[in-house]
Amino acid sequence: MITLALDIITTAAILFIVAAGLLIVFGVMKIVNFAHASFITVGAYAALMASRFGLPPVLAPFVAFLAGGLIGAATERVVVRRLYRRPLDAILATWGLGIVIGQLVTLVFGREVQFVPAPISGTLEAFGVDYSLYRLLLVPAALVIAGLFAGLLNGTRLGLSTRAVIMNENLAQGLGIDSTRVRLITFGIGCGLAAVAGALITPLASVDPNMGLAWLIGAFMLVMVSGGSLLTLGLSCFVLGGLQVLASTFISPILGGLTIAVLAAVALRLRPQGFARA
Amino acid sequence: MPDLATVHDVTAPAPLSASSRPLLRVAIAALVAAAAIVAGPFVLDTYTVNILVRAFFVAIAALTVDVLWGVSGTLTFGQSAFFGIGGYALAIVFTQFGFGPGEAMLAIGAAVGATVVVAGLVGWLSFYPGSTPLYASVISLVLPIVLVQILYSGGTFTGSSSGLVGFESFDLTLEAWFRLSGLAVIATLVATTIALRSDAGRVLGAMRDNDERCSYLGIDTARVRIGLLVVAAVIAALAGFGYVGFGAVAAPENAGFVFGTQLVVMVALGGRGSLIGAVIGAVVIEVASAYLSSSLPFVWELIVGVAFVAVIVVLPGGLLGGLRDIGRAVRRRGAAASAPVMLRTLEQPDAAPERDAIVVEVSGLSKHFGSLSVLSKISFTARQGELVSLVGPNGAGKTTLIRCLADGRERSEGSVRIAGHSIERLPADRIVGLGLGRKFQAASVFETLSVADCLRVARVRRERPSFLKTSPVLTLPAAARAVVESSGLVERLGDEAQFLSHGLKQALELAMVLALEPKVLLLDEPTAGLTRAERQGFAEILTGLVARERLCVLIIEHDLDFVRLISSRIIVLHQGRIALDGSVADVVDAPLVREIYTGRSASDGCGVTP
Amino acid sequence: MTAALELIGVTSGYGSSPVVHGVSLQIAPGEILALVGKNGMGKSSLLKTILAFLPVWDGAVRIDGRDVTRFPPHRKRALGLAYAPQEQALFQDLSVRDNLRLGLADDRSFEARLADVSGWFPVLTARLSQRAGTLSGGEQKMLIVARGLIAEPRLFLMDEVTEGLQPSVVDRLADVLATTRRERGTAMLVVEQHLPFVLGLADRFAVFKRGEVVDAGPVDAGSAARIDEHMRL
Repeated sequence: MITLALDIITTAAILFIVAAGLLIVFGVMKIVNFAHASFITVGAYAALMASRFGLPPVLAPFVAFLAGGLIGAATERVVVRRLYRRPLDAILATWGLGIVIGQLVTLVFGREVQFVPAPISGTLEAFGVDYSLYRLLLVPAALVIAGLFAGLLNGTRLGLSTRAVIMNENLAQGLGIDSTRVRLITFGIGCGLAAVAGALITPLASVDPNMGLAWLIGAFMLVMVSGGSLLTLGLSCFVLGGLQVLASTFISPILGGLTIAVLAAVALRLRPQGFARA
Repeated sequence: MPDLATVHDVTAPAPLSASSRPLLRVAIAALVAAAAIVAGPFVLDTYTVNILVRAFFVAIAALTVDVLWGVSGTLTFGQSAFFGIGGYALAIVFTQFGFGPGEAMLAIGAAVGATVVVAGLVGWLSFYPGSTPLYASVISLVLPIVLVQILYSGGTFTGSSSGLVGFESFDLTLEAWFRLSGLAVIATLVATTIALRSDAGRVLGAMRDNDERCSYLGIDTARVRIGLLVVAAVIAALAGFGYVGFGAVAAPENAGFVFGTQLVVMVALGGRGSLIGAVIGAVVIEVASAYLSSSLPFVWELIVGVAFVAVIVVLPGGLLGGLRDIGRAVRRRGAAASAPVMLRTLEQPDAAPERDAIVVEVSGLSKHFGSLSVLSKISFTARQGELVSLVGPNGAGKTTLIRCLADGRERSEGSVRIAGHSIERLPADRIVGLGLGRKFQAASVFETLSVADCLRVARVRRERPSFLKTSPVLTLPAAARAVVESSGLVERLGDEAQFLSHGLKQALELAMVLALEPKVLLLDEPTAGLTRAERQGFAEILTGLVARERLCVLIIEHDLDFVRLISSRIIVLHQGRIALDGSVADVVDAPLVREIYTGRSASDGCGVTP
Repeated sequence: MTAALELIGVTSGYGSSPVVHGVSLQIAPGEILALVGKNGMGKSSLLKTILAFLPVWDGAVRIDGRDVTRFPPHRKRALGLAYAPQEQALFQDLSVRDNLRLGLADDRSFEARLADVSGWFPVLTARLSQRAGTLSGGEQKMLIVARGLIAEPRLFLMDEVTEGLQPSVVDRLADVLATTRRERGTAMLVVEQHLPFVLGLADRFAVFKRGEVVDAGPVDAGSAARIDEHMRL
């Protein structure tokens, strides 16, 4: 029972970390970045490289953020910028970008599966059960990420400009905010965050060029359901992630993997704009 | 009484009946291709033939993606799921029951049956009034994922992750399979080309260009899309059936999301919306993949990925689109590419002038967004033969009122009756059926359709269009025809709507709405952007409609000179309420109106209150 | 002396339909120009064109002598241009404070500037942490004007700022604008339908009809009657 509860909480945290970057891009730019999966992969490989170079594991997420952020900003500048008026085409183009990035990773690193040792191993005794320490630490990690974002968004001038662009881009421009620059920074941060997610989940799963894909659809559906609010995203991760864990445990792991996608599709049918203002 | 004898040719019809010339071209091309297919196995080596058979079946699936996406505007990743259903139906039946003619019939029946059910369900989920294209794409994404997971969890019944192998299948030679699959591609291509070129097929292009306008022409776009999805799904399922029947292997990869996106990539590269582009894209990529993926495994996919991104960003029309654009730049712009069209006037009984019935009844209409009240307790009636102008400052609620009249789901409270029928919560396309026509402020037409086709789509509600032919005759009610002739559109019947001037687009939209034979006409700032001469012509048309056809016209206008000229009645809206409702004389000089418009409070201090 | 704002034969429109036809006008530094005319005549579109929200098809826009026709909207701000749009002029979900902050390029001088805002519209500084959407209509318009003035602009474009306001608020607004012009030399282009307000404030007027300037002149005793002719229903 306790194990189940911990499974749910840690799964929610992982989902949140993975989906947050996608939400930020969608919230500000109103397009869906289907290359998100490949940035998760980039982050994982960045962590791999970091460990190969002997860097302390705690630096891996930062290295990943840098890698993801720079590549993300570059792709925004070259590709994504031209697609703001064509949101469906943006999905396709970013999907194509994802393929390109994935293939480049494969060319450099090869196709075989790699393993990154967990920076912290072992278990912790929590509430009477032994549970993976690393998984538990992802919960505060998710909270830190959420906190950093809330802080950035609400406490800084850049955050204010970004919120203005989200609410009314024309008005923001009329007030002197360079919305193009805001979008560039946002996209870079969103991709950087995807990379951080990749770096953080490597100890839990293996690292191969297609690892990000499995997370993409779930993250996408969660973002659609949250309608652009970080808080609602957290809640959706908790509710849908929890239902996924329950379905996997009590029905079947394979059908459990479907839970998020199917329930989210139904939820969106009832409320197409998502639940941010519920 | 206008009689049919007054039909006169606007343009003399060509010696060959107008619609058959392009059909002839298609037939000839098809015959040439068919001959090539029959000859193929003698010329090509076995390996290539093998690859091509698979490529042909995949091409059929890609074709269905193009019909859904390129032609009707719904981005779908889910056609692979139907491909997979078709293939797995065959595999499962032959695995469970063995092979034989009865089993083959069962397999086809199962493939088609399952597909129809699933496609119907998916269509119902994806296409409903108020759904967005993004949501439909989301559902199409979820479908193959769900299907693959079901396949994975099916144990030996579905073969799980390894799929089904080793079942006995159709015993045809490789050459026979080649001819069969090749001819199937050609047949499907020909059939879809004919169907999409037909009058009925135009509606799909119209829905892609402007879905809202279609609803307001009385077309239930959700139903059309669901029907189209079912047909496309069945075709994809049959292609999958053939694919698995040929290869005798059914694998989850044939039903999954990645394959679904590959189909989209093929269509994008070949040229979305061109049909043949989908086939070319599919065949080229399948063949190249087969040859290159062994020698240059990752680089090939990288090339495809880069090409795909480049195409989406820079060349959305794909390969064929690029060629078409070059061709267009060489040809004169706007040159009529389609057959000459003959205009005919619809025989209509004269409206008896004494019986000017009440056709619009609004009672207690209110609209609020949360606590913000946009319209409050609006009540008025209007009769045939009245030209009512709705005026008022910005934000008074005029366009909102029009929306509430045209779409039953918009208002928060109150009732609306059009031609005696309450609109309840009916969607726009049903209210069109009651006799309402709405013209938008920004000319809302079908940009890539010709003028004649725009008008044909407008007539779809009244005359069922053919699924095979393009009719050379365009029948319009007298009022619509008058607009077409007096505006000069009659000389531009073959030109695409996007090349018309602003004034002509407005005239076209008006003609389209009049083609519905409405009893009530709603116009939203129709003179915006018109020249003085165009405005004059418009005024004449409107007054003529009201006087002769006894239409009831409700018009939102800012140009008060125009309003004074044409109206029989003026309703002044202010802050969501009716401030005045009366004849032109009553309203024009009323002090209240002056106050509303200029903010000049009389010296007794009754200013405009917030 | 270089004009604060100069429009030379400016034509623009939406899609394929033009709404501004070859408009030319000039505003000297510290001058207030009233742009009057009936609804739907293109006045708001003219302001949007100056800011480049509408593409300029023909003609030129100059600010302080500099050709800014092709400058994107956000760059116009840096030239000392402030804009109060007619619709959707505030971030409803942001606080009064945040809306005001966005009137400045950065936060450094914000606290100092707040003192000014307090002098103009004390009710705003009393409600700094309230969401802008919860203010009354009049307070919202005051906020829009305060946000425009807080950066001490050289040129302030206003679109129907008195719409829906009580007479007392209108008077206050007129006061604040007149004082600001006197003390800071701010030039203003005021699009208005409320004639008493704008004729009491402006130095010159121009009548806008169907995308063109059809009459113009200095504001004097006869201006009201002259404008009335054009505005008659």
